[in-house]
Amino acid sequence: MRNPWAQTGNYRTSYEQDTSIFANYREAVSVALLLVALCILPMFLERSQVLVLNFILIYAIAVLGLNITTGYAGLISVGQAAFMGVGAYTVALSAPSLPFWLTVPLGGFAAAITGFIVGIPSLRVKHLYLALATLAFQEIFVWVVGRSPALAQGAAIPVEMRNFLGLEISFRNHNYFWYYVILFVLVLVVIAWRNLLRGKYGRALIAVRDNDRAADAMGMDPGRTKLMAFALGAFYGGVAGGLLAYMQRAVVVEEFTLGRSVALLAMAIVGGLGTVVGSILGPAFIEFLRLYVERLSEWMKSNAFIQSITPAGVDVASALLPLSFGLVIVLFLVFEPRGLYNWWRLVRSYFRNWPFRY
Amino acid sequence: MKRVIVLAAAALLGLAMAQGRTVNLLWSGAITGPTSDVGGPYGAGIEDYCRYANEQKLIPNVTLNCSVRDDQYQNPITQRIFEEALDRAKPAIYLGYSTGAMLQLKPLINEVKIPTIPASAHIGLIEPPNNQYMFLPVSSYSEQVVALMEYINRTSKNAKIALVVNPSPFGRAVVDHARRAAQRLGQTIVDVREVGGGNLDNTALLRAFDAAGVEFIIHQNVAGPVANILKDAKRLGLDRKIKQMGAVYTGGADLIRLAGDAAEGYLWASSYYTLDENTPGINLQKQLAARYNRSADILNQLHCWDAGCGYCSGGHAPGCPAL
Repeated sequence: MRNPWAQTGNYRTSYEQDTSIFANYREAVSVALLLVALCILPMFLERSQVLVLNFILIYAIAVLGLNITTGYAGLISVGQAAFMGVGAYTVALSAPSLPFWLTVPLGGFAAAITGFIVGIPSLRVKHLYLALATLAFQEIFVWVVGRSPALAQGAAIPVEMRNFLGLEISFRNHNYFWYYVILFVLVLVVIAWRNLLRGKYGRALIAVRDNDRAADAMGMDPGRTKLMAFALGAFYGGVAGGLLAYMQRAVVVEEFTLGRSVALLAMAIVGGLGTVVGSILGPAFIEFLRLYVERLSEWMKSNAFIQSITPAGVDVASALLPLSFGLVIVLFLVFEPRGLYNWWRLVRSYFRNWPFRY
Repeated sequence: MKRVIVLAAAALLGLAMAQGRTVNLLWSGAITGPTSDVGGPYGAGIEDYCRYANEQKLIPNVTLNCSVRDDQYQNPITQRIFEEALDRAKPAIYLGYSTGAMLQLKPLINEVKIPTIPASAHIGLIEPPNNQYMFLPVSSYSEQVVALMEYINRTSKNAKIALVVNPSPFGRAVVDHARRAAQRLGQTIVDVREVGGGNLDNTALLRAFDAAGVEFIIHQNVAGPVANILKDAKRLGLDRKIKQMGAVYTGGADLIRLAGDAAEGYLWASSYYTLDENTPGINLQKQLAARYNRSADILNQLHCWDAGCGYCSGGHAPGCPAL
């Protein structure tokens, strides 16, 4: 038998091996080391920096869901923020009477049921028409929340958790506590994602995406597969929304508008559609880009020379942020449609083969 | 409780003055993104007034360190900016911006005990719970709308009123209070419509109001949609039949610019002086704009500038509304 630690490639000889979660031991160890690093990372960060990580991890969960619906099943959805909203409002309404480890999955299930219903048009329409159906749901969600006194008509519903198993949660440890909770949930949903996609349901998603009539001829049920894709994607969104509600201490409808849905889609595209790594790299890239452009913008504003060369009345520094976002998305679509995942794959294969070129 | 907090803040400032130290002040708002036409000048007003206060040594022995940050009208960014400030240079006062972000931050603000003055005048910000550290420097949107209803009651008994509100928590904030006020004043709220930007033809809306016998329209919105409704009312000849009025963000220089002649007769409830009034605060505003080379567009966002000077001087600058 080959030494498993000396593998330089995949030597899969059976179906079981082909469907394993990790390709080799090295990959398993790398993931374990990454998790350890993520666990100790907050020790070196300020509270507000941990907050940024929390947002990245929450968006990663939502983007993973979007990657099931759009990345794997090929069903364009611009309603992921609304699914997050369904989860968040479910959490807001149930949090006074239930513990968070029940409310968050409950939010996911509520979103999944909604996703199942929203997915029904996917049985009849495809592509841009389906995108319009999800867009309609996104707008209907905001409309319904805005007219529901039970949901404070879109204004804030507080979601506070002050105590967990005797641990007092205050401003000082709020971000740290939720970081570990969100990380734990992310690990769970990633495992579930990988588990789903290595089985027959995952392959059915790909088959239906590539050609639903051929998939039907091969004994798969395209309708059920599409509805399942919508429900699962929405479940991930609902869980992300529930966590966001706790992390932000309140739910307001402005968090779940079309702009957020488009941002999530942009994160999925930048990260690389249909990949776990891309689902995490995309949100991280967009959030860090926002941070660094913001700093650059502030530096430009305070720099007398830059201010002196820009025309009067033109605020270049403020325009930098929206400009850079648009530019990044367009550049990725044109030059690297496979997203950051492809860069990650190239770097990994370089080190795998090092010192040999091939 | 609030009085105690104000006294404590004053005591802290006094202590800072005695020791000659730097006082951190934080402003975050939409310099870019939605409502940046208002947020940009507001931030500029804060920057200028802080600069002016430091140059003129308005507070003896105290240097104001005013941090002006762009939250792009996004709640997560507002939260990050606020928490960053708490981590690095804890502000003595936080000047907030949008309704949604302020409502969301309310529990946190209360927990960390930072006196906060939001640009939003949503009544929910100062209602319990978690309201001890929220201060509205002006009357709330709801109070402005109720004031307009009371004004109507003085001239016309049992009036039929329609509310046109922005499709957001900002717009909807006034609806319940208006309904209660109508009940108290013997008025009838005939209809409540949500109208946002892009309302290019309001014929159906105005015809429906006319058919329902509406005598007054009260707006809780921003100037753009109101201007379109005013222009359509004039085109349909309903401007004399139905009187229109609205709360703070519906009027001012923006409305006059957008609606032109159709704005004639529009009644505006505002807690601020207008730019053409000769008051010490407005004059100071003009002086600062000239001193720091600010454009006319920035100067025209007068309420932002007034709120700005209210912020830096504790609400007692001449021409600014009192806290």
